[in-house]
Amino acid sequence: MTTTASTFTGEGRRTGAPVVSFEHVSKSYGAVKAVADLDLQLYPGETVALLGPNGAGKSSTLDLLLGLRAPDAGRVELFGTTPQRAIEQGKIGAVLQSGGLMEEVKVRELVKLACDLHPRAYPVEQVLEQAGLTEIADRMVNKLSGGQEQRVRFALATAGANELIVLDEPTTGMDVTARQTFWTTMRDQARQGRAILFATHYLEEADAIADRVIVLHRGRVLADGSAAEIKARAGARRIVFDLDGHIGEGALRELPFLAALEISGRTVRIQSHDADATVHALYGLGLYPRNLEVAGLGLEQAFIAITDAATAEEAAR
Amino acid sequence: MNTLIKLEVIRTLRNKKFMFFSVLYPAALYLLIAGGASETELVKGTHLTLPLLMMVSMASFGAITAVLVGQSERIAKEREKGWVRQLRLTALPGRGYVTAKVASAAVVSLPSIVVVFVVAAAVKHVRFDAAWQWIALTFAIWAGSIVFAALGVAIGYLATGDAVRPITMIIYFGLSALGGLWFPTASFPSWVQKIIEWVPTHAYAALGQAIEQGNAPHLKDVSILVGYLVIFAGAAAWLYRRDTQKA
Ligand SMILES: Nc1ncnc2c1ncn2[C@@H]1O[C@H](COP(=O)(O)OP(=O)(O)OP(=O)(O)O)[C@@H](O)[C@H]1O
Ligand SMILES: [Mg+2]
Repeated sequence: MTTTASTFTGEGRRTGAPVVSFEHVSKSYGAVKAVADLDLQLYPGETVALLGPNGAGKSSTLDLLLGLRAPDAGRVELFGTTPQRAIEQGKIGAVLQSGGLMEEVKVRELVKLACDLHPRAYPVEQVLEQAGLTEIADRMVNKLSGGQEQRVRFALATAGANELIVLDEPTTGMDVTARQTFWTTMRDQARQGRAILFATHYLEEADAIADRVIVLHRGRVLADGSAAEIKARAGARRIVFDLDGHIGEGALRELPFLAALEISGRTVRIQSHDADATVHALYGLGLYPRNLEVAGLGLEQAFIAITDAATAEEAAR
Repeated sequence: MNTLIKLEVIRTLRNKKFMFFSVLYPAALYLLIAGGASETELVKGTHLTLPLLMMVSMASFGAITAVLVGQSERIAKEREKGWVRQLRLTALPGRGYVTAKVASAAVVSLPSIVVVFVVAAAVKHVRFDAAWQWIALTFAIWAGSIVFAALGVAIGYLATGDAVRPITMIIYFGLSALGGLWFPTASFPSWVQKIIEWVPTHAYAALGQAIEQGNAPHLKDVSILVGYLVIFAGAAAWLYRRDTQKA
């Protein structure tokens, strides 16, 4: 993706009544605890990314949010009412991970249906255009490719003016152009003050678009903050340098605040909880690192660091 | 909501295999059963011929099968594919969905009834004393089939995947047998007959029987059917909204 960094600032958000509110919500499937005591509030205008490894409970959380499943315990509210009421009022647009499409109908017919059912619908042609469906509007829905189907889902979710847009892995299967138009549209929606919540495995999407990132793991919230905060929260920074001559791995392992070490050829990559102290000690060893780079972790590395730490902690218990 | 009804009807018509089968097989079955029967000899205890009696039976039977089995299976499949989950995220109320499904079922059952009638008239020379009986029969059997379409929608919501077909069949056979469509109920104990009067298939068959004898349908049978329609459609709408199972 060639999207520029998010232009959204945190200013002014979290004002007013929450759009979404989870209070101590739990949901199990037999022995599997998909959502565990979740507390979560989303506010108008927020763009929130929901991250987490497979099976973390992202889809389950969204299902609960949309009233497609009932929680075992706790309460889910949208716009201060039940999910069902909010949906009936046409306040929510959603793309589901497991949402099927009506068969034996044309793309245009299906999009027209979504528009007709929406209390504040946009014109059909505009919705088709926005989802990149104009050219394939007369095809049968069951004859589409995976990415095209995904565009149709997107069209269904944006058939009218919603106040909250919920997307479960919305860009899976989309090509680069489709993705870009997709996020451009979503940015537009966010600018108009709509709340957007999306689950994704594309961390660069989360980094570029979300002004708030929530990391889920085994049904719990591991981290909740801006992308920058999450990266910082992972605690580590990345140090990369080259070494000439013999590389004493043993000595490097002894460096203070070391979180990870990787040596490939002449290049040494280190993750450190205190980069300043580590670099200082590095010189203390009498080494002369060349091409030294110290940088923060990318969201992806931060994400891995956070979830790995949680898994290790659970294993230790 | 009108768009949904229109779309449901269109896609049913587009499903050629389903239409072909549902529309033609009651007529085929009719020829199989009544094809060799005498056109003049009266069935014992009635003043009607077998081809005429079978025409009404087959039209009713075909209409019920098409709407009950057809709807429950199609809906169960749609739920499995996740379309219903997606649809539940629109502002469409539950009754809108049920209405659309029932309407699309009616589109299938009407031609299946007409085809049986045309075949009976053309091949077995079935005639009525008055022309209004044809119209009234078509309408009564068609309108009555809507009750079972609503039941089909409700079953589609109750059962999932592989269970739909057996469940539909059990309900279908149970209703047919209890309704006295298969064996004469005159030999049953009177308390059983009292119950049978309230079975929807019995009321449905009684509509046709009244008209084929040149009478108007009994108000009681019509009321019973309307009552069941309200119950089934209400149950279907409720199940649609309540459906928090994934499948
Ligand atoms: N219908 C179900 N029946 C039983 N278990 C389920 C069901 N749906 C989900 N689960 C389990 O609940 C847990 C959370 O699943 P969920 O689909 O919410 O994960 P996810 O974060 O969306 O994962 P992914 O990234 O793979 O989409 C998983 O362990 C999954 O196996
Ligand atoms: Mg998921």
